[in-house]
Amino acid sequence: MSEQVSQLLESLREKAERGNLLYIGENIARVDSLEKVLGKPVYTADLIPRGTIYAKLFHSSVPHGIIKRMELGTAKAHPGVLGVLTWRDIPGLNESSAVLPDRQLFSDSIVRSTADILGAVVAETLPSATDAAARIKIDYESLPAIFDPLESLKPDAIRIHEKGNVARQMKIRKGDVQAGFTKSDLILEKTYRTQFQDATPLEPEMGLAIPEDGGIKVIGSMQSPHHTQAAVAKVLKLPPEKVRVIQAVTGGAFGPKSDETPFDVCSAAALAAMKYRRPVFCGLDREDSMVMHTKRHPFVISHKTGVTSDGMLQADESKIVGDTGAYASLGVFVIVRATFHTTGAYEIPNVKADSYLVYTNNTYTGSLRGFGGPQALFAIESQIEELARKLGMDPLEFRLKNMLVPGKKNATGALMDASCGLPQCVEKVVASSDYRKKAAQYSNQTGSVRRGLGIALLMHGNSLGPEGNDYGAVHIEIESDGAISVGSGLTEYGTGAVSGMIQVASSVLGVPLDRFKLERPDTSKHRESGPTVASRVVVIGGNAAFKAAEQLKRKLVPLAGEMLKVKEEDVVIVDGIAFDRYNPSVLVNWDTLVAEAYRRGVKLKEEGFFMAPAAPWDTEVGQGTPYVQYTWGALATEVEVDTETGYYKVVGVHAAYDVGKAVNPGGVLGQIYGGTVQGLGYAMMEELLHKDGFVVNPNLGDYYIPTSMDIPAEFKAFIVEVPGPLGPFGAKIIAEPPIVLPGPAVRNAVLNATGVSVDDLPVTPEKILMGARQSRSSLPARAQR
Amino acid sequence: MTKRITTMNINGAEHSIQVSPSDRLIDVLRDQLGLKSVKEGCGTGDCGICAVLVDGKLVNSCLMLAAQCDGRRAVTLEGLLNDSAMKRLQANFVTNNAAQCGFCTPAMLMASWDLARHSHEPSNDEIKVAISGILCRCTGYYQIIDSIRESCKEGGH
Repeated sequence: MSEQVSQLLESLREKAERGNLLYIGENIARVDSLEKVLGKPVYTADLIPRGTIYAKLFHSSVPHGIIKRMELGTAKAHPGVLGVLTWRDIPGLNESSAVLPDRQLFSDSIVRSTADILGAVVAETLPSATDAAARIKIDYESLPAIFDPLESLKPDAIRIHEKGNVARQMKIRKGDVQAGFTKSDLILEKTYRTQFQDATPLEPEMGLAIPEDGGIKVIGSMQSPHHTQAAVAKVLKLPPEKVRVIQAVTGGAFGPKSDETPFDVCSAAALAAMKYRRPVFCGLDREDSMVMHTKRHPFVISHKTGVTSDGMLQADESKIVGDTGAYASLGVFVIVRATFHTTGAYEIPNVKADSYLVYTNNTYTGSLRGFGGPQALFAIESQIEELARKLGMDPLEFRLKNMLVPGKKNATGALMDASCGLPQCVEKVVASSDYRKKAAQYSNQTGSVRRGLGIALLMHGNSLGPEGNDYGAVHIEIESDGAISVGSGLTEYGTGAVSGMIQVASSVLGVPLDRFKLERPDTSKHRESGPTVASRVVVIGGNAAFKAAEQLKRKLVPLAGEMLKVKEEDVVIVDGIAFDRYNPSVLVNWDTLVAEAYRRGVKLKEEGFFMAPAAPWDTEVGQGTPYVQYTWGALATEVEVDTETGYYKVVGVHAAYDVGKAVNPGGVLGQIYGGTVQGLGYAMMEELLHKDGFVVNPNLGDYYIPTSMDIPAEFKAFIVEVPGPLGPFGAKIIAEPPIVLPGPAVRNAVLNATGVSVDDLPVTPEKILMGARQSRSSLPARAQR
Repeated sequence: MTKRITTMNINGAEHSIQVSPSDRLIDVLRDQLGLKSVKEGCGTGDCGICAVLVDGKLVNSCLMLAAQCDGRRAVTLEGLLNDSAMKRLQANFVTNNAAQCGFCTPAMLMASWDLARHSHEPSNDEIKVAISGILCRCTGYYQIIDSIRESCKEGGH
């Protein structure tokens, strides 16, 4: 036997030992990476056929008003214009809403924000539609408007919706906060505020509708095609099966593409396509996207927290108010997540929380990566830092005393089990950032340029939890040439999660990922699998893919046994080669095995379905186990602040996340880097400004997101693996969590460098400087001029 | 508006194209020539993901009029698919997970290729400057920077 052959056999033997974990933990190239680096025409706008006409949405120019008259004549007469669609052109239900039916597709009588859509101009070309839309005149009777959610909560406030200004209320009642405060030696009350953040996927929302066989085909940039199908069908008054929705390759999403905007663009395109019997493209330009799609909710969060002098947390009472703008959208679930994470990664025996999702006349907010987590954790991690300082305790030691570890209970009363990897995460970032030495060193700086370290800890409930039934279906079909086709209603929009999900199937089947191909999610082919949100593809879809692969293996392994003339239980498949685990020299390769299955008429198409176990909780007291498992994390950031100007930069980031099991470590790191940088944008520079209900900076020249020049020079990322009970091989979710901690970690680092507490995000140089002026004593002499 | 014939060399081939004075380069590349690797992310020159090379200079094709390109040479990703330096970059982008949603990827590759022409061992800071005009919302840039550094090391152009 040649050396090469024996090496191959040895490698097969070794890999056979890995079982289903065969390719788990390997950095395998994503199934969709090639089309991306080749610049293939796979995104919605690349697929526009000849003869397509264009729909341009137009929106309200007042934040709250009654529509008196719409002057459409000039627009209709504009060269190239085919018509203007308004609510009168909707054959079905005039609704474009994710959860509560509080939002119309095209407003018919009242507008509640400047993002309210009134209609669409349809024209032969996009410039023609755009020019005509600018010529539409609408007369409104202005109504009083509210832009501050706290104002909106007042009993005498004007009503933005008939049912009142609170879209959803939540509460937590754990223990007895009064008793906890009585026991406390120190009680701190503080209020924290967060801003509007824009998700800014680089591809804005797009929909392309093409009439076909008495129905319509819609191709679009979105997260949840089946939900879009339901929304479009409702508007068109068609049975859902007459609306076929296909998700094109999607150029980033981050939440808003799971919310109501994909319904808007796809419904408008579909309405026009049905009316004019031609393909219609409706895409938002950047400005329209930043005005019309959902943003991250601004929150006002007040904490009253009691602690004993030895540093043990006793009680926390919080009031959480989220500004959902004019419509609730997926905000009804954002407020749930924010509430359940109100005390973050700490055990507090007595917790009381009251939260309100409140309507205002701002543009509406909804789903955005982190989903209420960034706001809740900014508040509690800031509060923890302030408490430590008041106690004169090191903030790390204070956290170590109170953080969740196995055996402790979080705010919902859920008992943490051995799958809690928070201590390991903290250990990693403390060592990597040299926290103890540096914190001591930075405690007595005298110059005007000062450094500081900030730390923040994460608990992030996995998957949908209390947000709905958590299921997914994946089908796998092995084609006659051995290629493996995977389809699901769960979608890919950049994270690589679908590739990770397929890597699970690849590992179970024993066939390398490069033999797999991904079908475009298509409502006519794939089962409804819930929304693709909450980073749940690898955890939920991965379990479904695992099942489908196992079912296929049960058909192929006996066949391979027969071909190899060995017992079924001795057959293994590794790298697309089936062999006897005790005698690897006899082999059947994948293509031969599949060809034989086809010859015998064995059906090689299986669907795997997975539903997460119930996560029960009591709505009256907010107690129970609303999440089946949690992702844990720790972040340390180091800042350098020029105390004379307030200018600062983050010089180092140390991040550790417990992901249970990293299916594809390179992909996990990609989420940690990308989510952290998006979180640094939120912490340091991003703010979609509203003035009297108008978005002031709806463009990428005035709304800053991090460029390559803004990222920290040092970024150390660590993957911790403490298996959880839910995901395949113990995997936990990772796409959302890294955006959560940069806000408080940066804020706390600036505080430790300067003594300035910035309690409203983003932490800008102006706020640092203003804070410094108010507390000059903590600054060097030169800055006190 | 009256259309005029504009002659451009695009990806090595001469094209005579009817353009209106207001036609943007990006629209001519995408709609008339089918070069769909060129993406539009803002239309105001802020995001950089429509970047192409014109006479060897990286430009935002949403801010350039097609008529300005008369007699000039434009190169898009499609024109570099057989180029060895581009292939190295593409391979490293794939290996390092540098393309997530992929929407900025063609422009990132163009900027990286442009850097690789001038510099064989760029520092991280030089790489950051080279791609600073192009926004990426997914990756946080680190895996892109690693890919570019490795590609340049393996041999520029």
